[in-house]
Amino acid sequence: METDQKKLPGLPLSAGLLALVVLVLVLVAPSDLAMRKHDFVRKGPGVTEVRMLSDWFPGIKGGRGDTEVYVLDSGKPGGSALVLGGTHANEPAGFLTAIVLVENARPEAGKLFVIPFANASAFTHTDYMEGEPRRFTIEGASGARTFRFGSRATSPADQWPDPDIYIHASSGQKLSGSETRNLNRAYPGRPDGTFTEKVAFAITSLIKAEKVDVSVDLHEASPEYPVINAIVAHERAMKVASIAVLNLEFDGITIGLEPSPQKLRGLSHRELGDATDTFALLMETANPSQGRLRGVTDEALILKGRDPLYLKAKALGRLFVPFDEKGSPVEARVGRHLAGLAAIFSAYTEEKPDRAILFSGLPSYDELQATGLGKLF
Amino acid sequence: MQQSRKLPLLLALVLAIPAALCAQPYKLAAPIAQKPVLLTSVGQSADVEMLKVLLDRSKIEYKYDIQVKAGGLAATGAKTIVVAIGGSSKGLGAAGISPEAELERAKLLFAEAKKLGVKVIGLHIGGEARRGELSDRFVQAAVPACDYVIVVAEGNNDGLFTKLCAAAKIPLDSVEKITKAGDPLAKAFK
Repeated sequence: METDQKKLPGLPLSAGLLALVVLVLVLVAPSDLAMRKHDFVRKGPGVTEVRMLSDWFPGIKGGRGDTEVYVLDSGKPGGSALVLGGTHANEPAGFLTAIVLVENARPEAGKLFVIPFANASAFTHTDYMEGEPRRFTIEGASGARTFRFGSRATSPADQWPDPDIYIHASSGQKLSGSETRNLNRAYPGRPDGTFTEKVAFAITSLIKAEKVDVSVDLHEASPEYPVINAIVAHERAMKVASIAVLNLEFDGITIGLEPSPQKLRGLSHRELGDATDTFALLMETANPSQGRLRGVTDEALILKGRDPLYLKAKALGRLFVPFDEKGSPVEARVGRHLAGLAAIFSAYTEEKPDRAILFSGLPSYDELQATGLGKLF
Repeated sequence: MQQSRKLPLLLALVLAIPAALCAQPYKLAAPIAQKPVLLTSVGQSADVEMLKVLLDRSKIEYKYDIQVKAGGLAATGAKTIVVAIGGSSKGLGAAGISPEAELERAKLLFAEAKKLGVKVIGLHIGGEARRGELSDRFVQAAVPACDYVIVVAEGNNDGLFTKLCAAAKIPLDSVEKITKAGDPLAKAFK
């Protein structure tokens, strides 16, 4: 009987291919591993202590989920607030705003906790097939500052494999498998859960232990997303958010208000409000560099937010935010977040004067547009 | 003789100045609404939360029921309904109701209000962001049932509110900002 046999490749060819793979890994590894180093954050005049998130949940100590928590304590009576940047590492206005706070804010009443890299693992990689740059640079007052542009989710190197369906632990809600690595679907978290659930649990534990009055999770979204340039508020935080929106309007900043849906689980504005006594809020700005309609994705798009395809989308009535040739620059996005935080803390102070949260040292929205973001770094 | 002709003119001018200064700057000729007030929403948007702040600042007391049904209106004792107009997918999701169910609730509620002689003041304060396919369904359902409408100008860039109010002969006042909506709202009350 005759068989149709093919000649197997020889050992030299296999060895050559293997060597090529090793060579590629050796060449790529240094830049990949460099992504694990946290961006430099200068301790500003208001910082009184730098702690680690594992102080509130030792289960993440020493791991890549552990991250710096900057404490800005006025030393005066008042309330406390937590600002989360970097829940999604591909939403730069969130973590840049947190860094601006750490480096520039001076607390005048109460205490501020700031976590610039809430999902530290998400900063160690970018999303597949998105063609995004790994870093971007801002010319600062003290020289060029480079920041990582990461992913929406925890790195698969830290949490793998994804299930086909992600089941949110406390509610049983079913989402697509990749959402299992999304910090903003993992709250309130579990001490014995996945990597991402443990980080969420640590943040929830901080809020409980420190009796945090107000928690604000800073995000960005693509301009075609309906909930944008908006504050999303837990029902207990709704009055404070309403006053903040009206106060922002006085300053010429239009921002929408949306309720936190009770049936959409795992998100910070829902679970932190339900699991703790904190007033849980989330803010969104418009970031074309993460949108699905974008063209070339480079540093200029991240920083300037200009994209001809989004102009076309606006002309076709497909966007939910104003969008013109000026784009959506990072100064405007960080400026909105800073103004939003100030308005929220001011509204909270107005409602609960004995739990005042006040800080100074930050530019107004208009000042930031005039001077640029670099002046703050 | 010439002097005696000028005198009434002068007198009329003197009387006209304060009258002009006191004139109602809004389209609503005279107050139409009475307390008690019921605050609700058509479209379940969080804009209703900002109306709470505006009513508080205007010192107008109100009962709040974002999902009040026609059958429950009489029991509230309300003589005026203040309604936040505009849809929110998050809000509808939070309430666990479909846009169709919300439209049906609004239709029955407004019919009951008319039957009971309850006035309806509609406010659209969400601007351009609170327009679009979803919100416009609620706008078109709610505005014709109102006795008075206040809109933040940006939300009426395409003239939809102007058109709907003109067709139904409803007084419409446009304000530049949400914070400016409190004044005409307060002036609508007797």
